[in-house]
Amino acid sequence: MAAVGRLAGGARLSRPRWRTGLLLALPAIVIFAALFVAPLFTLVANSFRTQTGAFTLGNYARFLGDPFYRDVLWNTLKVAALTTAGCLLVGYPFALYMRARSPRVRNRLALLLLSPLLISMVIRAYGWLVVLGPNGPVASAFQALGLTPPQLLYNDTAVLIGMVHVMLAYMVLPLMGSLDRIDPTLVPAAKGLGASGWTCFWRITLPLSAPGMLAGAMIVFSLTASSFVTPAILGGPKVKLMPYFVYTQATTTLDWPYAAAIGFVLVVVTTGLLLGYSRLLRRGNGEVVFG
Amino acid sequence: MTTMTDAPASTEVRRGRLRLSGVRKVLGGKEVVSAVDLETEPGEFLTLLGPSGCGKTTTLNMIAGHLAADGGLIEVDGRDITTVPPHRRSMGMVFQSYALFPHLTIADNVAFGLRMRKVGAAERRRRVADMLELVGLDGMAGRHPRQLSGGQQQRAALARALVIQPDLLLLDEPFSNLDAQLRVRLRDEVAALQRRIGTTAILVTHDQEEALAVSDRIAVMAGGVIHQLDRPQEIYLRPATDFVAQFIGEVNALDGTALGGGACEIAGRTVAATPAGEPPAKGAAVRVYVRPEVVRVGHDGDGLRGTVRETRFLGSRIRCVVATPAGEVTAALPYDAAVPQEGEEVTCTWRPSDASLAARA
Repeated sequence: MAAVGRLAGGARLSRPRWRTGLLLALPAIVIFAALFVAPLFTLVANSFRTQTGAFTLGNYARFLGDPFYRDVLWNTLKVAALTTAGCLLVGYPFALYMRARSPRVRNRLALLLLSPLLISMVIRAYGWLVVLGPNGPVASAFQALGLTPPQLLYNDTAVLIGMVHVMLAYMVLPLMGSLDRIDPTLVPAAKGLGASGWTCFWRITLPLSAPGMLAGAMIVFSLTASSFVTPAILGGPKVKLMPYFVYTQATTTLDWPYAAAIGFVLVVVTTGLLLGYSRLLRRGNGEVVFG
Repeated sequence: MTTMTDAPASTEVRRGRLRLSGVRKVLGGKEVVSAVDLETEPGEFLTLLGPSGCGKTTTLNMIAGHLAADGGLIEVDGRDITTVPPHRRSMGMVFQSYALFPHLTIADNVAFGLRMRKVGAAERRRRVADMLELVGLDGMAGRHPRQLSGGQQQRAALARALVIQPDLLLLDEPFSNLDAQLRVRLRDEVAALQRRIGTTAILVTHDQEEALAVSDRIAVMAGGVIHQLDRPQEIYLRPATDFVAQFIGEVNALDGTALGGGACEIAGRTVAATPAGEPPAKGAAVRVYVRPEVVRVGHDGDGLRGTVRETRFLGSRIRCVVATPAGEVTAALPYDAAVPQEGEEVTCTWRPSDASLAARA
């Protein structure tokens, strides 16, 4: 009892604990502040300058006033959204399957899921070039069936296939976490009350896995919207996405302020959408995933 | 006890006769339930009591349909439901973890089964409100499960199970997650409610006191079989097997030799008890089970002679240990009994109907 009293009287204990906590978090905070927050401020400041350094809103006016760039933004969000939807459609059944397996099998499946991330992005993308190319196995299969192979390279479909492949793990792992937190007696309880397996899924499992779905969707969406290598290789010059234009403005045109403005528009739009998601979730389920 | 069993205050049509015949279940290559037979009366409160791993929860899950029986027959009111999927059975189940749907309000949780049964909105609202009032949760309808205390959550789970007017109410260790005081209160409430509504209830528990307090009959299980299925006082006073005697309460187990009928010879003295099942043949090795509460310590009558080793005042009872040639006999004497002195020569006696006698393995 005395020990509990001392613990409960907490002021003396909690302060050193608080300090230890800060100390533990410090390396991460320093890295985050120095390598993300500070450059972001520089980026924002740069985006409001002309090439010679004077203040201007011209970079944003140029972006928003040009239908071509608005189209690029729209296409970027579309590809990110479709990739997210693809990951969800492929990943949800996979997560359900994983959950029903033994821990040993689960670990192997998780490794399988993470395996695309172990290979260099460039090599993986070139692999897809071979698979989806005119002499690849997909085209051969179509030809063997007497069908004209569809154009699978250098378009949104190619980017979508490549991105879903990479991003799947980012969807499945949070989803697994969410599914694991569901009390395993809920489905039997629902069945006992007259719900079929399908109804149990729609009314119990799916709504309760919403936090995982939304967390996965946020990660996949924001990573896809800002990805460069895979869309550049698989999409080619015809698929125009925001990160590609940031790259060309910065390295080819050497218009850094404009590159900064394009980059910042992407950050703002993506962050806005994520906050929207988060709010949606908080209202729907009373739980907070991010922020 | 008997009056409660004999006069349930229900006016509803009595149904919910459950019958298990030779029900078996093999899990992971091990037979966890072996040929279980039991039959309930409509409106009965029957408890499956046993230690963990005895097969009681597996049996309940087979009744609910969450596990498929590997053999045998499960019938409700003469209808074979052995292979009927759980959502087509009519069972109201209450889980140890409450299993309330966390994303739904209490009202929606209770309404879930009615929704599945396509009960109209107006009737649904009325039945949910009535049921919430019955379990004392009126005013909680709009809350979410996490906003309720453990006891309230279990009441909500009970309401959700009962509102569908199930054939059977299945209770899977429903009180284990509650603190001791609340556990006793809620179990008495549930027992009273069950008698009022008249739904047959099957309770699974490892808590013998709980089983004795609420049940019309208790099935004591161990190793996948039912050792004894009887009224609580029978189970307590006249255990049929060594396991039942040892698992429930405290017992004096005295070894002797059968003399025919209920009589037997223990350490040169003749004592009597009630045979569990067929009386053992004369000369057979038997064991007599006597609860401390039924042992009287005095100087007269046929019984075991011995020396008082210790007496201890325990508040509600006085505990008296007598060393006899057959071993120590513990008696729990009422507070106003003549308390023998330590070292006194005494005779331990009991009414033959208050003790049981079974063949010794």
